[in-house]
Amino acid sequence: MSRRITAIMLGCLVLATFAQAKDHPGKAQILKDGYQGPKTCEKCHHGKAKEFLGTVHWKHASKVDHVDNINPNEEYGMKNRIYTMCNGNDIVNNLKEVPPNALGKTKFTGCNTCHPGDHTSDVGSTGPEAEQAIDCLICHSSKYDFSKRKPVKDNNGKVVMTQDRSTEAAANIGRPTIKNCMVCHEAAGGGAMIKRGFSMSKEAEVHVSKGIICVDCHQVKNHKFPTGRDPNNWAHDGIYMTCAGECHSETPHKDADYNRHTAKIACQTCHIPKTGGAFSKDFTKWEKQSNGFYEPSTLKREVNETSPVYAWYNLTVSNTPQFIGPKGSRTDGKSKIYPFKIFQGKAYFNKKNGQLLSMDFAPPIANGDSLAGVASAAKILGIKDYEPVPGWQTIYFGSNHQVTPKNKALSCANCHAVNGVLNFKELGYGSKEVDKLTNPELYFEKLLKQQQENE
Amino acid sequence: MKKIISIIMVMALMLISSLTVVKTASAEEMKMTGTITKIALAADGKSATAVLKDSKTEALVTITITDDLTLDKFKDKRIVEGDEIRTKYDAEGGKNTSKMFKKTAGC
Ligand code: HEC
Ligand code: HEC
Ligand code: HEC
Ligand code: HEC
Ligand code: HEC
Ligand code: HEC
Ligand code: HEC
Repeated sequence: MSRRITAIMLGCLVLATFAQAKDHPGKAQILKDGYQGPKTCEKCHHGKAKEFLGTVHWKHASKVDHVDNINPNEEYGMKNRIYTMCNGNDIVNNLKEVPPNALGKTKFTGCNTCHPGDHTSDVGSTGPEAEQAIDCLICHSSKYDFSKRKPVKDNNGKVVMTQDRSTEAAANIGRPTIKNCMVCHEAAGGGAMIKRGFSMSKEAEVHVSKGIICVDCHQVKNHKFPTGRDPNNWAHDGIYMTCAGECHSETPHKDADYNRHTAKIACQTCHIPKTGGAFSKDFTKWEKQSNGFYEPSTLKREVNETSPVYAWYNLTVSNTPQFIGPKGSRTDGKSKIYPFKIFQGKAYFNKKNGQLLSMDFAPPIANGDSLAGVASAAKILGIKDYEPVPGWQTIYFGSNHQVTPKNKALSCANCHAVNGVLNFKELGYGSKEVDKLTNPELYFEKLLKQQQENE
Repeated sequence: MKKIISIIMVMALMLISSLTVVKTASAEEMKMTGTITKIALAADGKSATAVLKDSKTEALVTITITDDLTLDKFKDKRIVEGDEIRTKYDAEGGKNTSKMFKKTAGC
């Protein structure tokens, strides 16, 4: 089994070296004619631009069928969702210039800065103009100059996103690297490692240390990205993936004791023992920065500093104004125990109907006035009948990256000791069962033998 | 054989940890937020210095960066002069070595 994995890994490495060694076949042509945007690529890769417009990366939304209390005929995603990790969405926080702050300074802000368009062709736009606005190079070039990608005002005063469309960038095409993906993914949630709290460095992640990158696991076909069932990553391209599947089997261990556990315990539970990043934000109170702008007040930890919370998850999601997280139980026959980061956010709810309100960040960034942000968002959405009251929401984020080296994976005593990481009682085990599950009888012989071998 | 290796490992660990103790004893961890006024990459690409203007005191502080991820962000200009940075660094013997170097960002 592990030999097969070694072979796959070697294969990946060989492929990776080849891909790097060999130039993109279009290079000579691009150097000769220059780069005029997607139509240059389309000469040889016909239909790629149109195909891209139908994906989550362009639409920031898709139909969603595993979440409570939503309309199955509508599309949901960063475009229109409201939660308290970022209390808005692409619609209310559409890229714009914030009003001047007390020092007279202004800046651009907007969720859709993480969209590979030019803002004139924005989230979900369609047609030939949108096709030509796609920033293919942000994902495909290894020589992208990111200082050329920024919001600016054009001659008509409209805010647009510029791109690096240089011949230099277009001449260096390949499969996306970790860096290409991390341009947007690292800073999700308001800064590096804030939302997800995982690092993709060689030191932190076993796969990366072996040369495996994002797109080796996320095997993208026709720009459809496979994703998992994180309870707060709803939009998907229709392809799901998890640890077991293409890469690993459900019984990957030489040691049968571990394999027996995979029916009830997700791989991530043992192999991703830590998480990090923000664990609480207050959108009703914005903190003044030394540059005169305000930021939502945020409690955060470094990567790997937070112990996850463990819960049964059957891959369907409970969604109420106060809670967005896993559904499942010990007895439904479908759930496994997964690790989560619990995040709690404070924002305004509408007293009239109990729903969470969203916030346009431009006013509070300039002057800290969060209620002005709520008023602006309500105006954009056409909500007239509302009364904002502050309140808390709890949301669960799956912990699906930063697989730890195997000698740090959770072993018998990490869970079965009396002070182990699992709260068996809360997970639904009766007191007799808990006694049994926390009795050294379960693992004593085994760990003693291991200890003797290592001495 | 295994035993010898583990003894060597333990000795190596002790050596490393004793070194770390010595280091932390004399280095002082500092924190600041400031705007980058200048970035200079070393010729070998393995380190860089950034001059930051402290947002509170306006003092200029030079910080040495050696971690690959941040160096990469200088090279492809994901971090450029004019960006506001939050940093943690060790101040020791007149040299400030970065332990964290991140762009500030809202949400
Ligand atoms: C002159 C023709 C030509 C042009 C122009 C061209 N390509 Fe290619 N490209 C190829 C050929 C041929 C291949 C190899 C066969 C394949 O995968 O379709 C290829 C392969 C690729 C691959 C797969 C690379 C890998 O290592 O797996 C990507 C990604 C790609 N091209 C993107 C682009 C992008 C983006 C553009 C526009 C900047 C572009 N190409 C322009 C001919 C071209
Ligand atoms: C231009 C910014 C940007 C880049 C570059 C980017 N992403 Fe994304 N990605 C996003 C945003 C924004 C979402 C969330 C959209 C939503 O849920 O509404 C997302 C969602 C996803 C998802 C979950 C949804 C789905 O389509 O399955 C996966 C997986 C993903 N990205 C992987 C990647 C990988 C791998 C790369 C590198 C090849 C990458 N992304 C590059 C912005 C980006
Ligand atoms: C730096 C890039 C970036 C910015 C800026 C950004 N996001 Fe996102 N956002 C992402 C990525 C990447 C994902 C998907 C992956 C994940 O959740 O880790 C995502 C996912 C989301 C989701 C979940 C979507 C779903 O499919 O369930 C929401 C909601 C969201 N973002 C809200 C916001 C709001 C509100 C803002 C602006 C205030 C914002 N984001 C700004 C990168 C960004
Ligand atoms: C959000 C990131 C992203 C953007 C933007 C993007 N691509 Fe891709 N593209 C990928 C990924 C990921 C793959 C799969 C790479 C792999 O696994 O080999 C891919 C594969 C390709 C391939 C080779 C395989 C195939 O499907 O034929 C071509 C050609 C390609 N892209 C062209 C383009 C063009 C042209 C554009 C702009 C219109 C573009 N891409 C925009 C992420 C992106
Ligand atoms: C070792 C394989 C592997 C690598 C490398 C990897 N992923 Fe994933 N990723 C997964 C798996 C597996 C899931 C889904 C797990 C589940 O839900 O069961 C996932 C889920 C996701 C999701 C959905 C939200 C979440 O966090 O669960 C996003 C977005 C994502 N990955 C983006 C990325 C990006 C960007 C990179 C590179 C920086 C990357 N992944 C590297 C395996 C990988
Ligand atoms: C109950 C905890 C637990 C669960 C659940 C678990 N693992 Fe493991 N796994 C471990 C431990 C501990 C090790 C290291 C010791 C060993 O290999 O026996 C390990 C080792 C591994 C290895 C390295 C094997 C080798 O020989 O190098 C792989 C690959 C692996 N696990 C994959 C998975 C996958 C995939 C799943 C889900 C199907 C999973 N694990 C579920 C605890 C677990
Ligand atoms: C991630 C935490 C975790 C780790 C690590 C772990 N276990 Fe378990 N173990 C559990 C849980 C939870 C159950 C109950 C599963 C169920 O409901 O069927 C369990 C059940 C068992 C049982 C069955 C008990 C019974 O009901 O009769 C045995 C025996 C056992 N584990 C031994 C081990 C041994 C030996 C190891 C190390 C090789 C180990 N476990 C590692 C969480 C863990």
